Parts: sequence; C-alpha cells; structure tokens
Amino acid sequence: MSTVKLKNLVKSYGDVTVVQGINLEVKPKEFVVLVGPSGCGKSTTLRMLAGLEEISGGEVSIAERVINDVAPKDRDVAMVFQNYALYPHLTVADNIAFGLRIRKVPKDEIRKIVTEVAETLELTPLLERRPADLSGGQRQRVAMGRAIVRHPKVFLFDEPLSNLDAKLRTQMRAEIKQLHKRLGVTSVYVTHDQVEAMTLADRIVVMSNGKIEQVGTPMELFNSPANTFVATFIGSPPMNLIEATAEVSDAGCYALFEGQRCLLPTLSQLSNGEEIIIGIRPEYIDIEPTENASAINVSIDLVETLGSEALLHCKFLGKPFVIKVETHGQLTHLESLNKLYFRQNAITVFDKKTTNAMIAADNK
Amino acid sequence: MSFKENMNLYSKGDKAFVYLNMFLIAMFTASTLYPFIYVASLSFSLGDAVTAGKVFLTPVDFTVAAYEMVVFDPAFWTSYRNTFIYTVGGTLTSLLFIIPCAYALSRPQLAGRKYWNMMIAFTMWFNAGMIPFFLNMRDLGLLDSYFGIIIGFACNAFNIILLRNFFEAVPASFEEAARMDGANDFQVLWQVFIPLAKPAIATITLFCIVSRWNGFFWAMILLRDEEKIPLQVYLRQIITQLSDDDTFASSLITSAYSFETVSSAIMVLSIIPVLLVYPWVQKSFNKGIMLGGVKE
Amino acid sequence: MEDINHSLSTPEPMLLVKSRRVVKHLRKEWQLYLMLLPTIIWFIVFLYKPMYGLQIAFKDYSVFKGITSSPWVGLEHFYTLFNNDQFIRAIQNTVMISGASLIFGFPIPIILALMFNEIINPKFKKTAQTIVYLPHFISAVIIAGIVITAFAPSTGVINLMLNAMGFDSVYFLTKPEWFRTIFVGTGIWQEAGFGSIVFLAAVAGVSPSLYESAVVDGASRFQMMYKITIPCILPTILIMLIIKIGNILEVGFEMIIMLYQPATYETADVISTFIYRQGLQAAQYDLAAAAGLFNAVIAFLLVITANTISKRVSKTSLW
Repeated sequence: MSTVKLKNLVKSYGDVTVVQGINLEVKPKEFVVLVGPSGCGKSTTLRMLAGLEEISGGEVSIAERVINDVAPKDRDVAMVFQNYALYPHLTVADNIAFGLRIRKVPKDEIRKIVTEVAETLELTPLLERRPADLSGGQRQRVAMGRAIVRHPKVFLFDEPLSNLDAKLRTQMRAEIKQLHKRLGVTSVYVTHDQVEAMTLADRIVVMSNGKIEQVGTPMELFNSPANTFVATFIGSPPMNLIEATAEVSDAGCYALFEGQRCLLPTLSQLSNGEEIIIGIRPEYIDIEPTENASAINVSIDLVETLGSEALLHCKFLGKPFVIKVETHGQLTHLESLNKLYFRQNAITVFDKKTTNAMIAADNK
Repeated sequence: MSFKENMNLYSKGDKAFVYLNMFLIAMFTASTLYPFIYVASLSFSLGDAVTAGKVFLTPVDFTVAAYEMVVFDPAFWTSYRNTFIYTVGGTLTSLLFIIPCAYALSRPQLAGRKYWNMMIAFTMWFNAGMIPFFLNMRDLGLLDSYFGIIIGFACNAFNIILLRNFFEAVPASFEEAARMDGANDFQVLWQVFIPLAKPAIATITLFCIVSRWNGFFWAMILLRDEEKIPLQVYLRQIITQLSDDDTFASSLITSAYSFETVSSAIMVLSIIPVLLVYPWVQKSFNKGIMLGGVKE
Repeated sequence: MEDINHSLSTPEPMLLVKSRRVVKHLRKEWQLYLMLLPTIIWFIVFLYKPMYGLQIAFKDYSVFKGITSSPWVGLEHFYTLFNNDQFIRAIQNTVMISGASLIFGFPIPIILALMFNEIINPKFKKTAQTIVYLPHFISAVIIAGIVITAFAPSTGVINLMLNAMGFDSVYFLTKPEWFRTIFVGTGIWQEAGFGSIVFLAAVAGVSPSLYESAVVDGASRFQMMYKITIPCILPTILIMLIIKIGNILEVGFEMIIMLYQPATYETADVISTFIYRQGLQAAQYDLAAAAGLFNAVIAFLLVITANTISKRVSKTSLW
C-alpha cells in the first residue's frame, strides 16, 4: 500500500505551462479524483504519474521512491485508458494476460491469475471473445482486468467512463467503487464529470488552469467551496451566485441586491459597502419560512419537474437562479411561489475581487 | 438509400437511363476483358488456324501444343523459378525494411522525425534517374546478381508513407498501455502494431508482390546471365522476336503451334499467378485501405 | 529537472548539457533508431548516392577514372543535347504523348466513376469493377505482348477485322502516325478502370441526404448526377488534374521500349527512352545523365508546383 506524492509538479511545452506546480499527497488505499474542465491539466498530471509524459519540474514519488526518471513499466502502476486500449486482435484472456506475457510470467501462473481476475470481474464466460464482441461495460471491465492482473501499487484511471452511456456509467461507477473497496489499492482517477468525482472519491482535487483550486472530501467541497470556481463546478445544478453589497452594522451582516436584504453569517472580515458575491446551493433554499432565514421576493419563470423534485428557474440581477425543491407530488403551488427563504447558515460569502470564500457556511 | 434500390419508384426516363448506363458499363467491361480472352484463345488454337487468321474470340482447332512447347522449354522454368525468387525474396525484404521504418517514423518521440520523413518523401519527387542509378548498382557490384535485384528495389517512399500514416492513426493509448505493461519498441511493434495494421500490411505486401512479379525493365538492364532472368524478361525476348524478326519467326512455324500461340501461352502462364492473388488485392480495396479510405 | 537546476547553479557548457540529454534520449529510445537505420542507409546507398553520381552530367565521365576523378566539362553535355535533334524531338514527343494521354485519358475515369455510381445491382457493379481494375495489375510486357499480337499485320485481330471490312492490312507498329494513338489508347484501356477508384471514393463521400432531398424535389437521376454528384466531386477532379499535369513528363516508357522500333522513333521516342538508348545501350553515360538531370529537375519543379497548388485547392497536403 503506497503513498503517492506530487511535489511542486510542473509540465510545460515550450513556453506554455499546462501544470503549474501541483502539490498533493495521496494516502495509502485512498481514492483520489482529479476533476476539472478540459484543458485544466488533470490528465497531464496523471500521465506524468504514469510516466507517459516527461516531468518538466518538481518531483513524483510512489512509496517514498522518487520516480521522475523511472520508465513507466518500472513504476509499478497500472492505468485504465479512456478508450480502454484493448487490442482488437487478442481475446479477452489474452488482453488481460498481455502484461504478464511481456514480463515472461510462466504460462501456468498466467492462466491461474487470469482465471482469478476473470472471476473477480465476472468475465469468465467472455474469456475467449474478442473486444469487438463485447458491450461497452464488458470492455470497461476487461480494461480493469488488465490493470488488476499485475497487482500494481497504484491504479490510474483516465476518464474511463466517458465512452459509456449514462445508465452504464452509473453502474460502472458503482463497480469501480466496490472493486476499490475490495482491493484497497491507492487510486488516482481523472474525470471532467463532477458527479463521478463526488460519488467515487475519498478526496477530490479540483483543478483549473494547471493549478489546484481545492482539495477535500466531497462534502467539504460541496458545503465549503474555497472559491466561486469550485462552487459552480461542484454540484448539479451549480451553486447560485448573486453579486451584492455588504451592509455591516451591530445588527449583523447583510447582503443588498435588487433592493432586497439578506442576512449573512457573521463575518468579522466583512466591511460595510464591500462588493461581495453570495452563494447559495439550489438544494439549500427553502420555500417556507424557517429560523434565521431572510425572505426574498421572487417571480418564478419556469418550473422543470424531475418527478420527486422540481427545479424552479428565476432571475436575479439578470442572471439565472435555480431552486431545487421536493414536489411531494404537487406542482401547482410552486408556479405561484413569490417568496424564497435564504437561511443564514446556508449562504457562502465570496470576496468579489479574489472570488475566494470568506468563510464557509455551516452545513444546513 | 432505400430509394436507390427500389426500381419501381423510378420514372420511365430514369429506368431508361439506368439500363443505358448498365449497357455501356457492360460494353466497357467486355472490351477490357476481350484482349485477355483473345490471347487465351490464341494460346489454345492450332498454329495453322492462327496463321490463317481464323481466331477472333474462341479457340479454333483446340490444342495444347503451344503449352507443351513452353512447358518443355527449360528456359521458361528457369525464368519462372527466378521470378518466384525475386517476388518472394523481394517482398519479404521490402517488409523487413518498410515495417520497422514506418513504425519508427510514426512515433512522436523520434527526434528529427520531420527531417527523416522529408528525406524519404523527397525521393518521390526527385530521383537521380536511370544512369546514375545504374552506375551506382554497377559500382556496388550488384550487376547480374539475385541479391542486387532483391535489395536494390527493397524500399519505396510511397509504401513507407502509406504504412506510416496507418500507424499514426493508431490511438496513442495502444502504445502507452503496452509500454506500461513493460513492452519495448520491438514488442509494441510485433505484438500490437503489426496485428493492428494487418490490412495495411497486406496491401503493401500485394503492392510489392505485383510490382515484383511485373517488373522487367531493371531486370533486363541489370541481369546478363540467362540463368538469372525473370519471366517477364524471358517473355520480352520471345515477344520482341515476334515483332522484330518476322522471317525468323515464320521459319519456326509448324502446323501445331506458331509464335503467336507460344507467346500467348507464356502470357497466359504469367498472368495466372496475378489472377491468383487478385482476389486479395480486391479485398484490400473493399476494406478501404488503399488511397487513404476508399469506401465501397 | 536536475539538468535545469545544474545549469542554473553551475554554468555548465551548453554542449555538455545537450549531449547528456542526447545520450539519455538515445538510451531510452535506441530501439526506434535501430528500426529506422536500415531504411535510412538503404535510401542513402540506393537513392541519395546516385544523386552524387549526377555530377557526371557536368563531367567527361570515364569508366576507368570513376565519378569523382573524371574531369569537369561544365555545361558541354547540355549544349550537345540541345543541339541534338533527337533530344529536342524526344522532349516534344514526351509532351505530345503525355498531353494526349491527359486530354483523352483524364475524363474517362471520371465518367466511369459516375456510371458505376448509377448502377443499382451490387453484384453487377462488383463484377464490372473487378474486371476493369484488372489491367492495372498486368505487367507492361504482357500488355505490350497483347498489343503486338492484336496489331500483327497478317494474324492480328485488328487487321483481320479490317480485311473483313474490305480494307488492306496495315502494319500499325511500323507506322509513326499510328504510334501515339495505339500507345495512348492502350494506356486508357489499362488504367481508366483503376483511375476511377479515386473518383468513386469522392462520389461515396457525397452526403445521401442531398440525393434524397433532390428525389423529393422530383429530380431525375441524370439531373442528380449533373447537379449534385459532379459539383460535389469537382475538388477531387481539380486536384487529380493538377497532379496529372505535374506528372506530365512521366511516360510509361517501359511500354514504349516494348512497342517502338526505329521506324517509329520520330513519334515514339520520349526523353526516358532517349536516355535509355544513349546511356544504357550506347554507354554515353555522361550525356544521358545530363538528359536525365534536365528531365528530373523539370519534373521536380512541375510536381512541386502542382503539389503547392493542390494544397491550396484542398487545404490539405497530398502526402
């Protein structure tokens, strides 16, 4: 069980720096997900870890061994690729055994290991098929099988679910999670899908523009985003942001926008008249009065129903604002809604200039 | 396009157009085929019938006398054997050069890739020409040798570029996955890229086979020894005798076979192997490999 | 990384840093270079070394002295060539034969492709295609053999037909006025089918929805071909035309060597056959090399120009 450490990791192509000094420690058995929009440097970071990209600066170590100049095959890592990289000319069994064969493992042993792995992944009946005859989910499992056989210290996943349809993706997500529980191998997983990150990760690393925006457990990121980028990237629909002006008095901190007044958490660093952004998650908005909640006048433009839940769309300062509420089987009362309630501790306040959070609201 | 197949939906004019078109294509196809049939018929006709100008389409006075004449000529078998040697040896040598080179050129980690590629592509546009090539072969001591013919025409830029393009289109993750599994370049090439590129390699192999089988000019120039000449050069000798020296030719005519029937028989015998590999050549068109993605 | 630190702290000579990087790269990727090496050597030995040998075009080449030691004569061979009626004639013939092949041979593959596209029965189409592609794979010797046999004065089928129609036999292959027709016609017969492949590919690339909407609009099949297919494959046609013009100096000389004879030299002798006779048959290596160099340079310029233009037309390079 191995620790993975990235120390000030840099990748540049000529003048363009795509990874700008990443520091990260992945603990043994931990499942860490790197998430971010495309081009944020997450895949490059993973590929440097795998040894597929040369490291321009900084240090990568696995199990306390610096591996900057170690060939990929000697790093003792296994990777699941986005397109699975299954060899079309080989059967499932041969695909799984490929790495063992290259390493000249005795034939009997290969057969034994492949059988084991196939059982673990429920691939036994498919062993003689070729990748072209498999479904997307089965291919995905073979790709994982190929990674598992070598008992690597670290698993790397490069957007392994992005080629699957939505339903299969949910299913495979669960399978990956279970597999990780069973094998307990340190894993680094790259995705651009925040739902995948939230469901899979022990800890999430949110990246943008080659830098880490925030590292934390899924709930930490959800409830206490470090800045507006994380706030809008994590969660679906994303956190609502409203530009406002702060009003600080003995009575407490308030946000003023569109002639409305909203009670904020008490923040010592807030000064009167400061430009701020207030953030509130669609899920944390009430439609009935509660304690310490400010009533906000609103007119609902559109109700989107998802069944048990509904999304209410409206606008503040010309920008879309979404509320997620439970329907309890009823919609009619939602369309005529004219008041929302922002609970004091559900609000996150961001500095408008730096976009960093001033303090995180307590959970619910 | 279901409409296209359903003739019932066509207007009268369209039907006429379709049938006229089919007729014209049939005519063109027949005119392509006719010369082959003509030659085959000559080869199976009695020499006298040919000399008397009776053969147009089908054999007249069917006989295999011309074939007997050819088959009992040891020079024919020598040249046939030589052609096999040049074709098999040449094709294998070509593949041995072309495949690893195309792989190396397709890898982004190869330093100076652009310049290596340019060095090879340049020869498609500019070559020194016949004389310097001949003098070079002579200076290398490769005149009149099997080895010279085999090695001297082992590579050509077109085939290398064709295969390189195919290798370049293989997703990078195939190589990366193999590398993480511990494969070196030779293993990546042998166990991953060659199996993946089978259709492209088959195409190149067929190109090599056909060009080797058909090649005659340089064999004619570089080979003096009658024991080493390939079939095409042997055939040329027969044919030029036929056209150059009418009196000599007619002196050899017997009633059973004439020069026309004999040379036709040799032509037929040398087309047969091409016809045997032709279905595979066809298949590689259908797979859309040639000319970078031809679709049926 | 260490490299960078080092070069920052202790100013090591760049050369050392660079060479260390090269050694590291080679140690990691030596197999790739090993794979490349044989072919590179082959290209140097068999294609680039003869380019060095091209200097005999400017030398009084003697077999005994060798390429390097033979004395320079400047442009003497070129003066000789351009005062040689045979060479001038060869240039003219090359352009004439190529030009005729282009004018008569270029449209036929396009028409064939269009016609193949209009065939509905897939089996018929496949069979026809299989047959018309075949001649491309038959050797020049056999094609020439067929021509010689078919045009033979007393026994050839062509003359038999002429006789049947009441005309006298013509010994076509000894008549200069017939050579170009026979050669160009043979070329078309051999290559038209195969040449249609590239146009068929272009036709296959036309979106079916264009035809479907035309059908809904009531277009006839001929109108669809005329108004949709042809405009859609026009870029391909243009590019192929440019390439063909770029290759105008390339004549199937193997076939000419088989078919021509002194009686038909005046129309049949092209640059390549001139070089072949002067160089390889008469052993005037230096003069023939000069002719070859002239040919290669002009051909190179034509091809490069054609490639540049077609790049501009298609926005993608051909190679």
